[in-house]
Amino acid sequence: MGAASKGTDVTSPLCPFRANPPKEVGVRRFLTGFHRPAALLPLLAVLALGLASGPAAAQGPAGYRDHAALTKAVQALANANKAVVRLESIGRSAGGRDIWALEIGGPGPVPPAQRPALLVAAGFDGDRLAGTEIALAVAGILAKAPASEATVYVLPRLNPDGAEGFFAPLKTGARTNREPYDDDNDGRVDEDGPDDLNGDGLITVMRVKAAGGEYMIDPEDPRLMKRADPKKGETGSYRLYTEGIDNDGDGFINEDPPGGIDLDRNFAHEYPYGQPGAGPHMVSAAEARALMAWIVAHRNVAAILTFGGSDNLIVPPTGAGRLGPARELDLVRFADTAVAAARAAGFIQTGGAMGRGGRMMMGGFPFEMPGGGGRQAPRAAQAAAGSEFSRFMMPDRKPATTVAPGDYDFFKAVSDKYVETTGIRQPLCVREPRGAFFEYGYYQFGVPSFSTPGFGLATAEPGPARRPAGGAPPDPGAAVPPVQAGRGAAPARQTGAAGGGGVGGFGQAGGGGPAPAAAAAAPGIDRQVLKWMEAEKIDGFVPWTKVKHPEFGEVEVGGFKPYAAANPPADKLAGLGQAHAEFAAYLISLFPRVRAASFEAEGLGGGLYRLRAEVENTGFWPTALAQAVTARSVKPTMVQLGVDPGAVVSGSPKTSFVQTLPGSGGRAKFEWLVKGKPGQAVELVVRSEKGGSATARVTLK
Amino acid sequence: MRTRKTPVLALAAAAGLLLLTPFAPAQKASDPAFKVKLDFNRWHDCDELAADMRRLQAAFPKFLKLESIGKSHNGRDLWLMTINNPATGPESGKAGMYIEANVHGNEIQGCEVCLYTIWYLMENYGRNADITRLVDERVFYIIPTVNPDGHQYFMEGPGGNARSGHVPVDDDNDGLFDEDPPEDINGNGIVEMIRKYVPGQGNYRISRDNPDLLEPVPFGEKGDYILLGQEGIDNDGDGLVNEDGPGSYDPNRNWPSDWQPNYVQGGAMDYPFQLPEAKAVADFLKAHPNIAGVQSYHNTGGMILRGPGAEAVGEYPQPDARAYDELGQNGERMLPFYRYIVIWSGLYTVHGGFIDYTNDGLGIVSFSNELWNGEQYFTSPALKEQQQDPSSPIAPAQSRYFFDKYLEFGEEYVKWTPFDHPQFGRVEMGGVWKKYQGRVPPRFMNEELCHRNMAFSLYQADEMPLVRLDDAEVERIGGDVYRVYVDITNPKVVPTVLAKAAQTGTVRPDLLLTEGRNVEVLAASFVDSKTVHKINPSVTPLVDQKDLKRILIRNGQPGKATRTAVLIVKGSGSVKVTYDSVKGGRASKTVALK
Repeated sequence: MGAASKGTDVTSPLCPFRANPPKEVGVRRFLTGFHRPAALLPLLAVLALGLASGPAAAQGPAGYRDHAALTKAVQALANANKAVVRLESIGRSAGGRDIWALEIGGPGPVPPAQRPALLVAAGFDGDRLAGTEIALAVAGILAKAPASEATVYVLPRLNPDGAEGFFAPLKTGARTNREPYDDDNDGRVDEDGPDDLNGDGLITVMRVKAAGGEYMIDPEDPRLMKRADPKKGETGSYRLYTEGIDNDGDGFINEDPPGGIDLDRNFAHEYPYGQPGAGPHMVSAAEARALMAWIVAHRNVAAILTFGGSDNLIVPPTGAGRLGPARELDLVRFADTAVAAARAAGFIQTGGAMGRGGRMMMGGFPFEMPGGGGRQAPRAAQAAAGSEFSRFMMPDRKPATTVAPGDYDFFKAVSDKYVETTGIRQPLCVREPRGAFFEYGYYQFGVPSFSTPGFGLATAEPGPARRPAGGAPPDPGAAVPPVQAGRGAAPARQTGAAGGGGVGGFGQAGGGGPAPAAAAAAPGIDRQVLKWMEAEKIDGFVPWTKVKHPEFGEVEVGGFKPYAAANPPADKLAGLGQAHAEFAAYLISLFPRVRAASFEAEGLGGGLYRLRAEVENTGFWPTALAQAVTARSVKPTMVQLGVDPGAVVSGSPKTSFVQTLPGSGGRAKFEWLVKGKPGQAVELVVRSEKGGSATARVTLK
Repeated sequence: MRTRKTPVLALAAAAGLLLLTPFAPAQKASDPAFKVKLDFNRWHDCDELAADMRRLQAAFPKFLKLESIGKSHNGRDLWLMTINNPATGPESGKAGMYIEANVHGNEIQGCEVCLYTIWYLMENYGRNADITRLVDERVFYIIPTVNPDGHQYFMEGPGGNARSGHVPVDDDNDGLFDEDPPEDINGNGIVEMIRKYVPGQGNYRISRDNPDLLEPVPFGEKGDYILLGQEGIDNDGDGLVNEDGPGSYDPNRNWPSDWQPNYVQGGAMDYPFQLPEAKAVADFLKAHPNIAGVQSYHNTGGMILRGPGAEAVGEYPQPDARAYDELGQNGERMLPFYRYIVIWSGLYTVHGGFIDYTNDGLGIVSFSNELWNGEQYFTSPALKEQQQDPSSPIAPAQSRYFFDKYLEFGEEYVKWTPFDHPQFGRVEMGGVWKKYQGRVPPRFMNEELCHRNMAFSLYQADEMPLVRLDDAEVERIGGDVYRVYVDITNPKVVPTVLAKAAQTGTVRPDLLLTEGRNVEVLAASFVDSKTVHKINPSVTPLVDQKDLKRILIRNGQPGKATRTAVLIVKGSGSVKVTYDSVKGGRASKTVALK
């Protein structure tokens, strides 16, 4: 019963309200507000029971759900908890599937849409299904003990089309949505996807013996490949591709698979212009647009928890406000690099006009216009004209890209709690977060916003993932995305063949560009992932086997199975669901909560009254984070006196705004001199976008 | 309908017939005798703009297609006129010139330029050779107002606050939306300033130079007036006046190239294409990749603007800048008092602006003209010189008042008049210019503005890429192996693919397609000049692609240039070579191998 007693112990860290009990105030006013820690008790009790009974009691069938099963599950949850759970579709995917949203909130005086809310969102990446299952588990658990003064929104799967790939006969592990997209911009859409050469129903990696190839078999583990380092005297002898053939006969393999937009690269913070999967522009995907339309209509969302490819919970931002480096499988990355050359091929060089050596290159290269057209050099002065004045008059603001110093401690504290609650100490694979939704959530929407893969390693291996003790800032370049030549790549790479991807060396006219930085800065997690798979008894690696390839002749196919490194074994889901439900409840307990701590009137004679009020935030988080104040994205807390504006003689105005009110009892004081009559009731309204609202009344004597 | 009523009753029956025709009977000696009479010396509201477009469409049904591409927030149609001659081919095979105006609701004269352009092209088709050719070669997409809510609000209301669209925004953070707009208390259609006469107690005085003007008193002196702010009431009783009017964002910052959130770029809204009008325009543009030219009319200041909007985006690649400079510098010659400038360095920084999206996101040469320059009030060199004299009645500080008095007969300036204010008692209201002064030209000068700006856009339209295959030659190398030369020409200023678009992959690459039943392409290369190449042969780089019957040309065909494709082919019969570009059209040439 230890767990159960934990549930009733209000001094537990789950309940920070205990540290700041509401102070008693005058008897002539009454308060409505959300400062009653008791309201959380039933939830804690249910969580405790869940923990006590163990994973076996977790709800839902084991395993992963396709869209039809997911739809049944959310409908069942809503039907079984009619008073608490509401289900809506916030829009449809490119493939016409509903994007489901559950609203969970118990009966209470304030409608759920006006309560501070936690948004739990998952299923952005088509290959990460675990987040959806964990989010569903969280929804199921929280629906059993719904808060009366907070709301939980659960959007279990933002990319339902992408997730269907998990259930397809041929498993590719694609992250993208299914919107047709011309990845290599050759005028043909989705014309060269992967092909299952060894007939195992899985798309893995193809290694091709080739003199001059950049890769070699890892001497320490012959299952793995490494990039040969000429500086160490190593000679490559392999090229790497994803499994497939050159379907469209353009000389490249798998350069334009079905789909799509990489949904968690499509949002507006640090949008990775032109990068593979980013789409034609920010918020272009139907799914991204649906989520944006939904969230800007739900300003009561006070915190965001996403399950996705990025992480800021297992490893918090550094003291400099940056996230840890990406950790991606080298084998997969090497193979993906091969298609970059397809996007670079097709820059025509002309010759002949200027005599020997005459060259014309377009697209950002030195440019000699043959006869005519080159009347004068482009006006270099044009762009510079007035630029000094412009810079002086309107200094260009830059968006923030690091966690504000004032917010750092909140991220650290939540991360510590996350590690403690879930026992996850190191993420397995992590993507760099440019264009991810949770980054939008903090930098632009302005609330505490988190991402986790939802599973990971119970022990942190010393290595590239965890920053060294002492919090030394990591390599500043670490947060920069892996550079991949391709659409939108810097001009210097556009004729270079990055990685030498062509079947017959096509697209290498530029003599081969510099090695992509992604491959150069390999974190080397492949071995760690193999070890994890062995420990967890996951059959996640296809041994290399020889296959006949139409273009290359004999090749070997093998490597990590799609989805295997992106998801935990299904039998781990129940436990992860419990742990994350507990964590979600913890996040809710941190919400800012405003109240009128005091509101008093004093008659001064002659119909003049002095009104005094103190407004308090009894929650843990401030009513607006530092970044929210910078971004002006969270409305200031409004304090409004219910009198005619003309009655305010002096002091505070009728309507005041507080940019942010610190948590844990932060207060703001107001004083008005107003004209009034004995017996007149005066109302004070306090309204915070993320911290609820409160009303107090006083009667003039 | 603008048919004149005739006093002769006997003609009433004939008038019934006339109503069926959209125009009055042509006067024989008029030059020209236009089919549709429109007026360009007054400002039209949304319904009138649409009615005039319907009249034009009815008069020229062969060329004009009028459709709504979507609805504004308040449910008004976004009317698009497509001008295409179907006899010369479908729209999609021709380079398209897209012209819009009025994204800022108060910037209304661009609507008239759009209307004028449709009208002028149609009235002069078949009459003027250049216009006829242009209409035959190109397609025009014209949306006179992309912010009809803002336009109508400007036309109906006092004129303030009309830059925005009408998606509600809680400007004052009180949880209420658009609840306290400005009001016109005295009902004269203008939101005025309020002053109170307080002899010897004020901080303002009547200007010594102009009795209509108030001026602050010098340090240490006292004046006779105080200012009490703007006309209006506190609608929501929060103690603030006019603090939350309709909308209040910038519809020209909601576009997804270099879009930045509100705290970096004011008025951006929450995400790109959040505004229904921007979404509708973007959907239209994406569905029409043949669009190769964009003009978005704004006011004011006399500018021919191009991107980038922000320094950090980086200057355009040289080939692009060269094309822009050519067009912009000729534009300066066509538009006196307009300067060709880059937005960020010459005006101010803009993130997420419309023409940044059309250039960077869609690969379209894009300009935005800021219509009307105050220098145009007094244009002769003699008057300009006189303006240097501060005591002249047309010295810069006085010139507007002079112009209003003598050329517009006091139409635009609102003088101070007494008023009994509900809160302030006896005051005077006035001291402001009406909404049609300053940012728009005097009405009688608008037609010239329309014509000159249209002329610039037609010049831009004419310089959109246009691919021709002029000349083809076959040279036998030996056996059944031939060398085929095909000259590819783009005689226009603008390349088929902007260099920036080539870098970012925003435009489908050009294709060189070779067809022939028994033909194989062994090798391909391109030379800048066939003549030079033949006199002084040099080694040319081979096209490094696998499928040489479908060659990708990502960097497109430059402007004002002929290049020659050199194909080494093996086979017999004939070879058809096609150059296919998205923005410069498609051209083919067939040659026999012999």
